[in-house]
Amino acid sequence: MTGITGTILETVLTTAFAVADPAAEAAGHAGAHGGGHGATSGGALMALIPLLPLFGAVLVGVFACFNEKSKLPAYATVGLLAVAFVLTLITYLGWNGHDPIQVRLWDWIGLEWGSGGVGQTLDAGFAFYFDGLSLLWMLFVTGLATLIGLYASEYMEHDAGLGYCRFFGAFNLFVFSMSCLVMGDNLLMLFLGWEGVGLCSYLLIGYYYKKKAAVDAGMKAFVVNRIGDLGLLIGTLLTFTTFGSLEFTELFATIGHGSTASGAPLDATWQVWAIPLLLMMGAFGKSAQLFFYVWLPDAMEGPTPVSALIHAATMVTAGVYLVARMMPLFVADTQLIALSVVTWGGAITAFWAATIAMAQYDIKRIMGYSTISQLGYMFFGLGVLATTGGVFHVFTHAFFKATLFLSCGAVMHGFAGQLDLRKLSGLWKVPGFKIVVIAMLIGCLNLAGFPFTAGYFSKDMILAEAWVTSDSTIWGSSWAGWLMLLTAGLTAYYTFRVFFRVFVGPVEYHPGDDLHDHADDAHGEDHAHDAGQHGDHHADHFHPHAPKWAINLVLVALAGGSVLAAGLYFVGDHHGWAGDMVHASSAHFDPAHIGDHSAAVAGVGDAVAGGESHAGDAHAGDTHAAHGTILGLDPHKYMYYISAIVGFVGIGVAFVLHFAGRTEAATSRADSLARAMEPVHTWAERKWYVDEFYHFIIVTPLKVISHLFHWFDKLVIDGIVELFGGVPKASSESLSPATQTGVLHDYALRMVAGVAVVLVVVAIVLY
Amino acid sequence: MTTMLVLTILIPLLFAVIVLVRPPEAAKFWALGGTSVCFLLGAMIVGRFFSAAGSSTETMQAVASLEWLPALGLNLSIGVDAIAVLLIALALLLGPICVLASWTAIPTDRARLFFGWLLVLQAAMVGVFAARDLLLFYTCFEFTLLPMFVLINEFGSTNRKRAATKFFLYTFTGSLIALAGLVYAAWAVATRASGADLGPGGFTLDIGVLTQYASAVLTPGEQGLVMAAMLCGFAVKVPLFPFHTWLPLAHTEAPTAGSVLLAGVLLKLGTYAMYRFVLPLTPVAVYEYAPFIGVLAIIGIIYAGLICWVQRDIKKLVAYSSVSHLGFCVLGLFALNTSGITGSVLYMLNHGLSTGALFLLVGFMYERYHTRDMDQIGGLAAKMPVWSFFMVFFVMASVGLPGLNGFVSEFLCTMGAFTSYTPWTTDELNGMVGATWGPLGPWFGVAAGTGVIIAAIYLLYMTSKVVWGTLNEPDGHDDDHSPLPIDLGGREIATLLPLAALCLVFGLFPKQTLIDAVEAPINEQIAFIQQRVTEAPLRDGTLAAEAGSPTSKASASVLNESSNAAGRNVGVKP
Amino acid sequence: MIDTVLSGMSSLPSMTLVPSLAQTAFPDAMASSTLNHYLFVSAVMFALGLIGFVTRRNLIIMFLCTELMFQAAGLAMIAFGRYHMNFDGQTFVIFVLTIAAAEAAMALALVVLLFRKRESLDANLWAELKG
Repeated sequence: MTGITGTILETVLTTAFAVADPAAEAAGHAGAHGGGHGATSGGALMALIPLLPLFGAVLVGVFACFNEKSKLPAYATVGLLAVAFVLTLITYLGWNGHDPIQVRLWDWIGLEWGSGGVGQTLDAGFAFYFDGLSLLWMLFVTGLATLIGLYASEYMEHDAGLGYCRFFGAFNLFVFSMSCLVMGDNLLMLFLGWEGVGLCSYLLIGYYYKKKAAVDAGMKAFVVNRIGDLGLLIGTLLTFTTFGSLEFTELFATIGHGSTASGAPLDATWQVWAIPLLLMMGAFGKSAQLFFYVWLPDAMEGPTPVSALIHAATMVTAGVYLVARMMPLFVADTQLIALSVVTWGGAITAFWAATIAMAQYDIKRIMGYSTISQLGYMFFGLGVLATTGGVFHVFTHAFFKATLFLSCGAVMHGFAGQLDLRKLSGLWKVPGFKIVVIAMLIGCLNLAGFPFTAGYFSKDMILAEAWVTSDSTIWGSSWAGWLMLLTAGLTAYYTFRVFFRVFVGPVEYHPGDDLHDHADDAHGEDHAHDAGQHGDHHADHFHPHAPKWAINLVLVALAGGSVLAAGLYFVGDHHGWAGDMVHASSAHFDPAHIGDHSAAVAGVGDAVAGGESHAGDAHAGDTHAAHGTILGLDPHKYMYYISAIVGFVGIGVAFVLHFAGRTEAATSRADSLARAMEPVHTWAERKWYVDEFYHFIIVTPLKVISHLFHWFDKLVIDGIVELFGGVPKASSESLSPATQTGVLHDYALRMVAGVAVVLVVVAIVLY
Repeated sequence: MTTMLVLTILIPLLFAVIVLVRPPEAAKFWALGGTSVCFLLGAMIVGRFFSAAGSSTETMQAVASLEWLPALGLNLSIGVDAIAVLLIALALLLGPICVLASWTAIPTDRARLFFGWLLVLQAAMVGVFAARDLLLFYTCFEFTLLPMFVLINEFGSTNRKRAATKFFLYTFTGSLIALAGLVYAAWAVATRASGADLGPGGFTLDIGVLTQYASAVLTPGEQGLVMAAMLCGFAVKVPLFPFHTWLPLAHTEAPTAGSVLLAGVLLKLGTYAMYRFVLPLTPVAVYEYAPFIGVLAIIGIIYAGLICWVQRDIKKLVAYSSVSHLGFCVLGLFALNTSGITGSVLYMLNHGLSTGALFLLVGFMYERYHTRDMDQIGGLAAKMPVWSFFMVFFVMASVGLPGLNGFVSEFLCTMGAFTSYTPWTTDELNGMVGATWGPLGPWFGVAAGTGVIIAAIYLLYMTSKVVWGTLNEPDGHDDDHSPLPIDLGGREIATLLPLAALCLVFGLFPKQTLIDAVEAPINEQIAFIQQRVTEAPLRDGTLAAEAGSPTSKASASVLNESSNAAGRNVGVKP
Repeated sequence: MIDTVLSGMSSLPSMTLVPSLAQTAFPDAMASSTLNHYLFVSAVMFALGLIGFVTRRNLIIMFLCTELMFQAAGLAMIAFGRYHMNFDGQTFVIFVLTIAAAEAAMALALVVLLFRKRESLDANLWAELKG
């Protein structure tokens, strides 16, 4: 055992603190990659990025052991996360801008067999891989986590003590897992992070564990995610059997050669579309797309900072990350089957979720559906080959959606958990809520795609590409584009529906039933069952609880970030900063060669190798003339106007229906419209009955089957076993009264008689 | 080291005697002392083993033999390889933990009976893993039944007598048939093997000799029968669907320490015996029937998992989850490739840790509330935060969360099944890529993968009922009249902490701690099996190697190229 | 008396099939008694024991009868062993004697215990197995 411990310590120490030479690491994988890794310093710092939050989780655990009642856990968390953010920033600034950095901490799962050729070793290190994509993600993950941690220090203050520690422990663990997911050097590391964020999401959704809805929502999230994870797991295994490795560098190099590891041409295989589809299944589970979206709205049961960080900004974009990261695989298929599915999956989900969001009354749920819808945009972007747009939208969305959620959270915090837009109005005039309203407005403008906001630019990049990419490349891409344009209008409408109802207009508010937002509160149960009676009773003497410095500071920072993010569109060589980052990552490919297999993968190989290929670009409308048009116009130029008009129409409709002439919180002009549209309105409000439908076709049958199995096990399988004991027992019992006298002599006599009979028989047989 | 190994068997027996002759009040202290000494010895054995072995962990160490009845080929011989030594360490680790867990649960007047038998059980368990002689192995294998019978029969809950009897008779009957199969193999070696070292009696039960020669002298038909006989015993022990019905009953009724040892070690006797006997003694039959066994394992994974979901009794739920989990273990074993068997061996250890801990936790809860019914109890997070923390932790280890131990073994088993036979990578020209030689196939991996979802469903369902929600306690429960603290006390935490720490270490450093240790003997075993299967005559009398590819001769070094092609003809294709 | 029994036995026509080879191996003093003599004694002892066991109700007498049957079997084994010049039989008898001694001690102890419970040695008072 000493030997083993020694090895571990040695590995950890040498790699994490003495830094294994990245060049040597690169050379280790040189066989796969043809060399060319720039040996950038900063490997040790990189390794610290995930380890700091992990240390934070442990530290908070120690606080929990000492039953710390102050805000110390929160400040420790924020401090450590801030350091992690700074480290990310340092890594980014010290990065040469094209070569991936790799750091291997220790061997995690590794096996060797056979004669040790390609595909006869499984080598998944506990290792990190940094390129443009992971850096972009890490920057906003650590940055937002720091800010939201600060916000939560105030938001969760009611729970100081064990609940506080539980919250921040899981919070830290989440950042660690997310870092592993994004920085993972191989698919198994990615899977580690993938499941880790799932666990933290489960723990944090169910944070208010006395609420059954919260507990059920946590379980639903975990289980639905697991279904997607099965796809990811099988995709991973199939990747291994096809390409012989799970490490990104080796994998992309093999794909770059256009063949499987056994040398068969990739085109001819079925794995070329099967693997992306399986990975996509995992991505859709995590990012709540298509059939998997049902868990995300329910996840809004968690505390609002959690919804902002995990269920809006970071974790749910992990699916987008996965698809972007594995882009070489997706474009390796000349038919682009998987990407077409991604396109349509994203488009349908975006539209579907937007329709539901329009009819909801719970503002947090509206934001939840809006997240699903926006994630649909991102997938749609990846699908129509607007990788840069998709990734940029992830980035801008992270900021403005976090702003929106945190503003909603501030409202919820201030009005005792009230989230119903029919019971809140005119917050602009409520003292202390000015910053919240302004932040909310900035977030709404971004989400609605108001011109010159960050959301506007990122959405345009995606939408324009729908027409640029021809329908023959991605099946029906322009039709999906029209659907997305319609969705953009709906988005503007439902966003400003919330804003006009809640934040402006006549002042009126009714507090929620959740005066103390406690999880570990002894009175927690009381609130649950007399919620009905409380409403008006409280209104008499209720004073809104205006946010204090931490919440306001964070809102200002995030709103500012959302505004400034727009500026990133104008910097860099490849259509904005995000374009630069994508260009220096595995997500980059050469669109000119899509469909032409060998050239396309060559482009991928270049990108991975950090080559100087500038032949094409995801959004490079001006470099090649012949691409699709929208109504005869160049989408790259005119999409700015088209989407602006669509956004204005949506906002205008919301203005007319929900602001103009509204005198009270509960009603608006939209009500008559809603009545006119029955039953569509009710159906949309009831989320198209999807939950009920799933319950009916999946959960109930499975439960019935389980019960059947249980009885089958008890009666048939165990019954057969019992027969072996039962038959002899029954037969002896039927004979026992006659034979079992208990008198010794009877038994002896019978034995003698038996022996005598045997002897006689033997004698007869022998003679 | 040999001495230490022998001592780990003898010391518990000695302490068992001491426990019997000392006053009942002292029983638990003596038992704790005995198991702790053994645990320390175990730790030293592990340390010595891996430092002595250096690069060659496949070699047997601490080998010793004592002639007993040489005329009948009976020796008392012991020895351990990496796999045995790890399982011994697991058994020795669980020893003191079980004693501590039973500290207050056992009434003092009956403590001598309980702890005495617990010590005997420990000796028998170590004996099984250390045995290098068939008779010693079988004796210890069966002798584990007796202490466990007493523990269940005397210290179980309401339905204990029935559970104990069923457990004893079911597994005992199975083992007898297995003995017949083993003896047949030994007889075949004694009569047919040329060159085998049979000893003075012309008959040997030495496991090393048997595994080396039996597969060569048994015809494929005989191997099928011998394997069936052995599986009768070992599959019941594991338990493999449909031989599992004794397990939920026994687990439910057993006292906490009994459940922990039953799940932690006794079930592993079955899989260990499969690894030690079934695979090397009858490789051709194993290869041929592996898909069938794989199907049983997968049925077990899904079927038992779904049954878990509708249980109300927490302990029964965890018991059925063992059936489901052990399905992965058997599946990996019969994938006959490195990742599968490594995963399986890791599963034996990891399942012992995580499920053992779950049984401990359920036991601690039962000691406080005297119920295991999920409808009567719930929301314990509010009252027992420490207990809840550990519960969630071990549930996650059991669900297979990466970073904890369960994932590594589950992934490797699934991968083993998936890559066991992957036709698309076996391009004739280019050899094999990513895939390995084996009898199962991708669909086995996919089907087993669904178990991951089901595990999440039933374990989280239990968690949401017991840990989360509003506090729900059985009627008439009164904390003030309980001698135990409301949340877990120091003693109870001490039983859980080492298990939790190992779950983390095995989850984060599986390669350094486990995989590197067991890889060499497993690869050796696989090479042996491959060779036997490739050389085996087919039903039509030709050699598999010839039938597959005319150019390649089967030898260990080129097996990876040749045996796959051959494998197609021998195996039942998935 | 024994002589007469033995000589009487040897005159039984059906039991004189004694191989000459074996007979030559017998020491002179035993020349007159053949295997059949021993087997006859053994059979008689066994029959006596059996009859006694089945008919008597006193626990001690019954126990003595079982001992008688034991020794009958032992005698037969020794005789056969001697006859085949194979000492396994004798080995077994010594083994049996040892066991029997231990068993006798146990059995008598049990009998004493039983007597204490019912103040009688009548075997019919014990019918716990009834059912």
